[in-house]
Amino acid sequence: MEQFLDLYGFAGVVLHAAELVARTALLGGVIFWVGLALPLARFLAPGDATRLRRIGRRAVLWSGLATLLATLGTCGLDLLALSATLDAPFAALLGADFVHAAAVQALAILLLLVLALGPAEASAVRAFGLLLAALALLVGATAGSHAIARTENRGMLLAATGLHQLGAAFWIGGLPALLAGFRLSPAAARRVGQRYSAFAAAGVLLILLGIAGFWIGYLGGVPALYGTAYGAMSATKAVMLGLLLLLGASNWLLLHRLSGTPGGLLRVRRFVEAEIGLGIAVLAVAASLTSVPPAADLPEDRVSWAEVVERFTPAWPRLQSPNHADLAIPALQAQLDREWQQRQAAQAARPQAFTPGEGLLPPRNAGDIAWSEYNHHWAGLMVLLVGLAALLDATGRVPVARHWPLVFLGLAFFILVRSDAEVWPLGELSLLEGLRDPEVVQHKLAGLLVAGFALAEWWVRLGRIRGRARFIFPSAMLAGGVLLLLHTHAIGNLKDALLVELSHLPLAVLAVVGGCARFAELRGPAEISRLARWVWPLCLVLVGLLLIIYREA
Amino acid sequence: MPPSASPARIGRRLLLGFIALPALARQAAAHAVVVASDPPAGAVLAAAPRHVTLRFNSRIDHARSRLLLVGPEGAQVPLDLAPEAEPALLAADLAPDAALAPGAWRLRWQVLAVDGHITRGDVPFTLQPR
Repeated sequence: MEQFLDLYGFAGVVLHAAELVARTALLGGVIFWVGLALPLARFLAPGDATRLRRIGRRAVLWSGLATLLATLGTCGLDLLALSATLDAPFAALLGADFVHAAAVQALAILLLLVLALGPAEASAVRAFGLLLAALALLVGATAGSHAIARTENRGMLLAATGLHQLGAAFWIGGLPALLAGFRLSPAAARRVGQRYSAFAAAGVLLILLGIAGFWIGYLGGVPALYGTAYGAMSATKAVMLGLLLLLGASNWLLLHRLSGTPGGLLRVRRFVEAEIGLGIAVLAVAASLTSVPPAADLPEDRVSWAEVVERFTPAWPRLQSPNHADLAIPALQAQLDREWQQRQAAQAARPQAFTPGEGLLPPRNAGDIAWSEYNHHWAGLMVLLVGLAALLDATGRVPVARHWPLVFLGLAFFILVRSDAEVWPLGELSLLEGLRDPEVVQHKLAGLLVAGFALAEWWVRLGRIRGRARFIFPSAMLAGGVLLLLHTHAIGNLKDALLVELSHLPLAVLAVVGGCARFAELRGPAEISRLARWVWPLCLVLVGLLLIIYREA
Repeated sequence: MPPSASPARIGRRLLLGFIALPALARQAAAHAVVVASDPPAGAVLAAAPRHVTLRFNSRIDHARSRLLLVGPEGAQVPLDLAPEAEPALLAADLAPDAALAPGAWRLRWQVLAVDGHITRGDVPFTLQPR
């Protein structure tokens, strides 16, 4: 059971992210079907009309099934954790508010699924039923959000949450159906795109209204944006929202002003694909945000702007492997010990909070930090090298540069050898003995995965891989970015953990943007590929530089 | 509370998470935090408190929340929660005959916020020898 509780926090956020993505797609699917496909189909040729209605119906069916699974999974996981920590039977927990909220959502989803089982053409009554069930789902989701537990501004925050989620459904949620709609005849596809852009604009407005409420109720000021985990995640979300707006604006221009340009619709499709990738990342951040207390509740012990500047001021990278004879280590350890004592004194007078399975940070160890910085800096150098080589490759003038993925093999070797100092070949433990530690297994698997996607991308460059396997590298970048966004946050204002997180959030955004750009380059058309082939190597260069200046003390 | 990953360890995992997508473990996920308590954290008391209260930043599901005292030797004394007076307040009376030994005590809490988040934590205080 302890192992379950250890994993509960992370598993909960991942499941919640899946639930949020699926629910947004479901609500967006209903809006697309009832609000766009059914009315617009009357003005389209019979073949296009039938296909458009089917697209709407299928979007609701598939996302409905996914939402049902994710909702039941999230609720089940929370019930298991509660039952384990309270040592109480399941039946005694079913009266909890979050179970009621999940039950409302599950019933609404079931109703949506039943209504979607019929033909793609829906009567007015059936369409009204779909909208009503979607509204019930939105109400259930809002009733299970942060806002319901607030002691102040509850009504305003519930409204902000509902509007924010509705806006995401209008804009992001219908994108998969829109993408499918682009397979209709060009004239019909353009009409679908033009109609959808009005929905997306309404979605943006609703999202901004929600953000205004969150700013008042949860954030409360600019210092929260860098001083707290909640604020840093919100700022990251805002940056990605800005990127989404850029893509959305490009689509609007292409659909309404530049529709005559050849290949314009294909470009819109690529932008929509990138929007879906970014949209998933934004929803992952939103799920992550629900796992930390709002910034407004943590006014003490925030990271100051001076501390952020100090941590991000570039210093010469640590390129020599640390050892105990290193004079800098005792000095750093003495500094860490002083900080630890001050922190202990402060924490003794401040109540701490944890999720089950998680606990207090141990004292920081100078050797551990030096080791970690050394690993980050070398990894950064290799990623920088990869980015520069890929930029050279993009010029098309240096044929040997197309072998840049092989540099990743160096990184894989580095991870396999350097991650665990106590295990073979650096330490006294044999490889088999070392593999009994789950973290060692993680590191070895990580090294093998890097080697795997490096080889796959190399074969793509050599023309040996075609088809969907070409997307292994951008998928790895995208997934890596999303996982980073879902990862650890400081519950209270634990400065050390928060400063580490602040340095990794830009890495996550760059990984997501780079992954989307590489997708776009591979998918074409040529004018997008020409631009995208510069974007993702630039992202890698920036990732490399951020890793090189990374510090933990 | 068991020790968790150090920032250096977190950093290493994040780095690996970025470049290779391992199964990332141990995610801090908490929502309800204590904003005030009686006794306050770090208090030094001449006598055992007869009544303890915790005020949270969130509305709490009282029926699914717990309070207990953890003594200097690790002995645990479960507390009966007082009936709900305010949505964000958790309170309990100590039995009049409860004899608490001098030393470092912890008021250990676990709450279920009404949005479904489970959080736990300690409020440390010290009882002086008589």
